[in-house]
Amino acid sequence: MSEARIDGKPASLAAAAERAAEILSAARMPVIAGLGTDVAGARASILLAEKLRGAYDHMHSARIFADLDVMRQAGLMFTTPNETRLRADVLLFIGKDLTKIWPAMIARLSPAEIPAFDLAREPRKLLWVVPGRGGAKLEGLAIQTLDSSNLHMTLAALRARAAGRPVSCAKRVLRKLDEFVEVLNNARFGVAVWGGDSLDSLSIEMLHGLIRDLNKTTRFSGLPLGSDSNAAGVVQTSGWMTGFPVRTSFGRGFPEHDTWRFDATRMIESGEADAALWITAYGPEAPPWKKNIPLVALASPQTAFVREPQVRVEVGCPGIDHDGAEFSRETASIVGRLASHRSPAPSVAAIIGEIAKRIGEDASC
Amino acid sequence: MKSLVLTIKQEPGQRLDLAPLVPHLLDGKLPKEIAEIEVQTTREKVTAGDIFKIRSGGVDSIRFEGGSTRLDNIGKDMKSGEIVVEGDCGKSLGRNMSGGNLVAMGDCGPCAGSAMSGGRLEIAGDAGGFLGAPLEGEMEGMTGGVLIVRGNAGERAGDRLRRGTLVIEGSARDYPGSRMIAGTLIVLGECGSLPGYLMQRGTIVLANPPELGPAFVDCGAHDLAFASVFSGLLRPESRAAARLLSRPLFRFAGDMAALGKGEIFFPV
Repeated sequence: MSEARIDGKPASLAAAAERAAEILSAARMPVIAGLGTDVAGARASILLAEKLRGAYDHMHSARIFADLDVMRQAGLMFTTPNETRLRADVLLFIGKDLTKIWPAMIARLSPAEIPAFDLAREPRKLLWVVPGRGGAKLEGLAIQTLDSSNLHMTLAALRARAAGRPVSCAKRVLRKLDEFVEVLNNARFGVAVWGGDSLDSLSIEMLHGLIRDLNKTTRFSGLPLGSDSNAAGVVQTSGWMTGFPVRTSFGRGFPEHDTWRFDATRMIESGEADAALWITAYGPEAPPWKKNIPLVALASPQTAFVREPQVRVEVGCPGIDHDGAEFSRETASIVGRLASHRSPAPSVAAIIGEIAKRIGEDASC
Repeated sequence: MKSLVLTIKQEPGQRLDLAPLVPHLLDGKLPKEIAEIEVQTTREKVTAGDIFKIRSGGVDSIRFEGGSTRLDNIGKDMKSGEIVVEGDCGKSLGRNMSGGNLVAMGDCGPCAGSAMSGGRLEIAGDAGGFLGAPLEGEMEGMTGGVLIVRGNAGERAGDRLRRGTLVIEGSARDYPGSRMIAGTLIVLGECGSLPGYLMQRGTIVLANPPELGPAFVDCGAHDLAFASVFSGLLRPESRAAARLLSRPLFRFAGDMAALGKGEIFFPV
């Protein structure tokens, strides 16, 4: 049976929902953070934020906006893993630990295979730009690597050379850059694959510029690996519900998006947010803030909190304990997943529904 | 004529949006009507009268006595007149302003002068990140006017700068002049890493340059006629910037990764 606790003491789900509703509706500016949940959980959370006139944010916003800020200010070209496996004759990997970010990456992209839809039927060429030498090993595959201690600089130099413009660097480095550029320019359909915290929005915009330049003479696209905890699914859900991604507030009664003002951790540390709802259904992530504020947590069972939340409900994992819809890296779209080990552990959407029921329409003011 | 004076009563409990308190929007309003203007950003209503003691005067000149880092959008869309803030400001000070004179005596938050197209914005203290930069989803940052920071500026100052002049008398953190389209950025103090990253055109002048990225190429030392003309124009705003521009300068062209028609100058 699922666990609900109020101030650390076991309680019924109904009592927990009642207490959560009290805490959240008493706040001037409640914030829903974490948001590691499926599409139904995200929908319920955003509706609750609207009812409470609070804000919401995702735990992986920094990664989300590294890609999204480039997409909405400069544009980004994307492709899917399947398209990559079937057509890409050149794979350009950028960043370290890509296989840790997406353990199924090699199985899904099959870099060792000859791309099925490539007419030339030649083995794929594999390039990897990575800090240090250890990060770019794939068992039994020949990879050309570019050791980059500074991805910003390396990507800039690579893009300048690909466009045939001069750069200032040592001859040895220049030779290596030009070897890479030759492979990129001769790609029939190349795909750049990136992920991880070593890339920020500026380096991704530089990479996108390289992709755009290459498309003047050939075809090249991108495959960002994104973040965990259904980050992409939550952003899409937020998009169709409010027109904005996460870091959106209903404080004034209408959705308002601001990546700085509605950063949940900043809001809490500065004292602007006075209650929080932390949601983490996929893994045991604890809230990143230090300040002690009234906290309601819908968390997976192993989550270790620094301070016991005022209300804590253990929730099931979408696709394991209950059915759920979430963004899938494999297909680059939202998919439905049936429960693999169905259990009575409640879903985030169900608990939020219980909380929302207990908040009157006239809760505000 | 006397200024309209708004004296802050206490630190607000929530962030406030002061965009309505600019000369052209207050024109013709009685002090009582000004006091009723809503400035809250949460469900708890706050009016200008709740947060400020209002001393009436001509709305063409507005003085804030005291400030707070929670006061956002001061001087937003400002077209004319003068606003002086004797204290700190929050986010987006002088956002989208097209005319008038806006002076902040304290520090300000991120995105000051965001997408401003004209007028003069002076920050006596330190500025947050993304000075003059575009906001979420916008294509262009500052497109005109003069922006002067007497203190230090945060990361990516002058991001997507398109026209106008931006002078930072203190230091700038990483990536000043990132994605510049055109315009002029001058940094007199220390400069963070990779200035001019992804710049297409435009001019960056640095008193203390860091190591430049590989996509900037040496074009030699110059004694430019234009720099000395510009130096004369800058003298009333910043004597130190004027002095820097009157010296012989090294020129580096870049960012070769982008268009490569921008330039970074620093003293020989």
